Amino acid sequence: MSTVTSHSRFLGGRLLTIYIVIGLVFAVFFSRLFNLQILQGVDWTVQAVKNHTRAISVPPARGIIYDRNGFVLARNVASYNIVIIPAYLPDDDSDIQRIYRELSQLSGVPVNQGTVEEAKLISPCTPGPGITQLVALGESLAPYDQVKITCNVSEEAALIIREHAVDWPGVSIEIEPVRDYTTGSLTANLVGFLGPIPAILEQDYRDQGFRPGRDKVGYAGVEASLDSILVGQPGKRVVEVDVAGKELGNLQPPVAPVAGDNVMLTIDTRLQAAAQAALVGEIDSWNAWHGYLRISSGVAIAMNPKTGEILAMVSYPTYENNRMARFIPTYYYQQLSQDPRHPLLNTAVSATYPPGSVFKLSTATGALNEGVVRLDQIISAPGQIFLCEKYSPNEPCTERNQRPFVDWIFDKNPEGFGQIDFLHCIAWSSNVCFYKLAGGFEDEIPEGLGILRLKQYARALGYDQPSGVELLGEASGLIPDPTWKRINKGENWSTGDTYIAGVGQGYVASTPIQVLMSAATIANNGKLMQPTIIRAVIDGDGNTVRMWRDSQLNFYNSPVSGSWQMSPFQPHARWDITTDPIIKDYRCEGGFCAETGLMKTVQPWVVSKIQEGMRLAIVDARGTLNRETSFQNYPIAVAGKTGTAEYCDDVALANNRCRYGEWPTHAWTVAYAPFDDPEIVIVAFAYNAGEGASVAGPIVKKIMDAYFEIKAINIAQGLSGGQQP
Amino acid sequence: MLRGEFWRHFDFWLLGAVILANAFGVAMIRSAIAGNETLLPQINRQILYAGIGLVVVIVATILDYRYWSSLSRVLYFGTMLFLIILFLSGIARFGAARWFEVGTILIQPGEIAKLAIIIALADYFARSQDARRDWFWIAKSLLIAFGLMIWILLQPNLSTTIVIMVIWVAMVWVNGLQIKHLAAIIAAGLGVVLIGFPFLQDYQQQRVLTFFFPDPNVRHGATYNVLQALIALGSGGWFGKGYSQGSQTQLRFMKVRHTDFIFSVIGEEFGLIGAVLTIALLLFIIFRCLRAARLARDTFGSMLAYGVAILIFFQSAVNIAVNLNLIPVTGLPLPFISYGGSGLLSLMLGIGLVESVAVRHKPLEFK
Repeated sequence: MSTVTSHSRFLGGRLLTIYIVIGLVFAVFFSRLFNLQILQGVDWTVQAVKNHTRAISVPPARGIIYDRNGFVLARNVASYNIVIIPAYLPDDDSDIQRIYRELSQLSGVPVNQGTVEEAKLISPCTPGPGITQLVALGESLAPYDQVKITCNVSEEAALIIREHAVDWPGVSIEIEPVRDYTTGSLTANLVGFLGPIPAILEQDYRDQGFRPGRDKVGYAGVEASLDSILVGQPGKRVVEVDVAGKELGNLQPPVAPVAGDNVMLTIDTRLQAAAQAALVGEIDSWNAWHGYLRISSGVAIAMNPKTGEILAMVSYPTYENNRMARFIPTYYYQQLSQDPRHPLLNTAVSATYPPGSVFKLSTATGALNEGVVRLDQIISAPGQIFLCEKYSPNEPCTERNQRPFVDWIFDKNPEGFGQIDFLHCIAWSSNVCFYKLAGGFEDEIPEGLGILRLKQYARALGYDQPSGVELLGEASGLIPDPTWKRINKGENWSTGDTYIAGVGQGYVASTPIQVLMSAATIANNGKLMQPTIIRAVIDGDGNTVRMWRDSQLNFYNSPVSGSWQMSPFQPHARWDITTDPIIKDYRCEGGFCAETGLMKTVQPWVVSKIQEGMRLAIVDARGTLNRETSFQNYPIAVAGKTGTAEYCDDVALANNRCRYGEWPTHAWTVAYAPFDDPEIVIVAFAYNAGEGASVAGPIVKKIMDAYFEIKAINIAQGLSGGQQP
Repeated sequence: MLRGEFWRHFDFWLLGAVILANAFGVAMIRSAIAGNETLLPQINRQILYAGIGLVVVIVATILDYRYWSSLSRVLYFGTMLFLIILFLSGIARFGAARWFEVGTILIQPGEIAKLAIIIALADYFARSQDARRDWFWIAKSLLIAFGLMIWILLQPNLSTTIVIMVIWVAMVWVNGLQIKHLAAIIAAGLGVVLIGFPFLQDYQQQRVLTFFFPDPNVRHGATYNVLQALIALGSGGWFGKGYSQGSQTQLRFMKVRHTDFIFSVIGEEFGLIGAVLTIALLLFIIFRCLRAARLARDTFGSMLAYGVAILIFFQSAVNIAVNLNLIPVTGLPLPFISYGGSGLLSLMLGIGLVESVAVRHKPLEFK
């Protein structure tokens, strides 16, 4: 039968090929399955886990910053944002429209405005898109994530929304902590401000559990320098999510965030306010007197010389850190950063200026300790002297390289101070006297101190190195030496360089806090205390945390080598120049100085003589601070030193003032009190202010007044020891 | 006819395997729906279709398959009419008119067309079994396939078109297609693909392109579904995550879970063992159909069973290959397991035809 023949062919090779094809196809499937599920199984499992697992960082509360009396300087306040979770909105479109309309009336955000495409380009909290557009955008990205409709609404509006929770499903209030600086610009240069995590540190902070875009870090002041203490540790929740991002539950036990520690500063807000008022008031009145904005900036710092606690630190002009609390407004930041007076810079520690005559304390200490001058020696101090400008020690002194070195008194009295002793050199601040001490003068001072030895004494008093105060971006200042000049100026050191360095001019540059430290060291009988603004670190329960720090601003919970205790505060002496041999010994002969390899100390009597010299500046009839506007007949024994520092910077250069006889001057004054047992040392600096005694002296005096008044109030209120509560 | 002797040759293994596949399919659809409330009624609907399908199998078994031979022209032209009407006045859904809506039931003439082609071609090859295997013989069979295929292609429905082409090639091959003709057909087929590609719908072109040139940056784009299916499958391991425990399925990272990607759901929740057993079950069904083809008493019956076997095989292979990311995504469901009423019913009708052939198979020598 034909059927059979057909079947035999059919059953033959043809069907076999079909079996083979089927077998091959399924063999391929099996190998592919084995490859995917077994060999690559781990990789795919990792991806599957990643898909449905989400780690959520829970932000910690940032630490609070107090002043020394517990007055709050920086705290966290709640800010209310209206948010919508698109997935929780009702199903019915008319319900949604009703919610939008009512919400729009309350919040002022329009129901419809712009397009979704435009909304994509606008960062949250910025007005622009309507509610519909914001929700549409959020819904398309992650329907279970909050969409910010408007930020920082009033507490009342927030309460109304809470009340409407039932009528308005999906609408809720997000409470966002925002930094509030109670004292604002008064303490801005100390407290600083916060900003977003910078891109370059993003990975570091991510590793610690922070979330860039939400969490903030300190950008300036204590907020930046103590960020690691204030910031806390974020909590972590690992949750299971579905494809829409809806949280289904914790996969691991949640880790609660650890709030940052609170910090108590050494600042006394009252004294800070008084210092600011004194500084700004003096600057304003002088500017009014001049009739133009001559004095553009200034600094005032008050410190306890025995402990190093800084009680006030004002850098003028400054900024309003509350304006940066939520975000840093571009226009404001640009305004600040383009201001030639650098309001963002804490000039007390981050800017250097020629110290002028306040630097004479270093020269005087060195000269007396090295025997350059005897106490009973009478030095001739005419209005000006002619000295040789020699670029090498054996260069002959001729008519051509002689030039006049003028005393500040020359304009008023060309005869100068006449014949004066060492203490009056300090008290009257005779430049000629200090030229001679620094560089030597004929037979009168056969061997001057010289720049190498001067540098040693200046460093011993705190110059030429950062103070180590707990603020970032500190400048180290400069005490030049011949090597420095060769490298940086391409020129040999000249004798004239030594003369003017002896009076804090020329290449000498220092920060206001260094000037303060030099006077504090003298006031404290040679002990240089570490300046600090940290009084204590306090945990969330109010217990003081024991902490140590090192000179690199690293903080430790236990002492390590090179560290000292910072919380609770203990005075830390960097060194005592009368006992610690930190000064290199040089043997000098005919202008040549060679290291002997020995180290030496300052003899205690030298320090007390410098103190006497500073005291004489107030009590002597011709003393620089014996004025009605400063410390004439002051009820408390004060010692001090003024400075009028000629300078030439970009501003002066632009005004063509960098010429002989035309130099503009900064005003300096540093003083401490009481003379016998000093507890306060104050420095004031005013940029382009003119004479130190006239402008900076009154500032110091007013701060001194305020200090003793506050002390009296403290005592009256039963707070023992004045500043020590 | 309905006496016990009639049922003696009924392939209970085949029906048993089909029922098992249906039941397993319903269970997997239940898992794959993953709490989506709008999809929830589909479980019961699939059970209903499976029940109707069983009745269809029994009825089709009782009916002598040789009636289909005489009905073949009516069926063929009736289906063509349906397809033309659909083409002319079809409801546009997802850019293509593929079904009629009768109440809440959607009828897909494309599914019926697959069986109509099998019947028509089986009839043709039975009649022309003594004809010379020349171009004329081939062209005539191709014309039969083409008569229905063209309307499906115009819907446009590429995947069903390909299924019909494969059925035709498989049937013409087993009926003695000469190798030189096969080579010519393959060459022509390649030519059609290359020339035809620009005429494909945009989304079809896109699917093919994303398969061959995936864009690594796309997350929610075209490769997303395939990637999620691979993650689901790959993370299943040996034994899977357990029924209703697959994170990819239950948290809905995978899309079209209960239709196109149900094999990935199986792979995720039952692992390699489950996936291989599923393949084995389908293979078993295919081999039982081929067995019926071998035992059939005439060429028509043999071709009928063979065509159904090829239909099940090809649909299974394409669906699994898509799940394994071996070929671009097409809309073919996994036979008996994926959700889909029309597809299931036409397959059950096919099984009924095979059973009808089986119960009437040629007497064995020793009888």
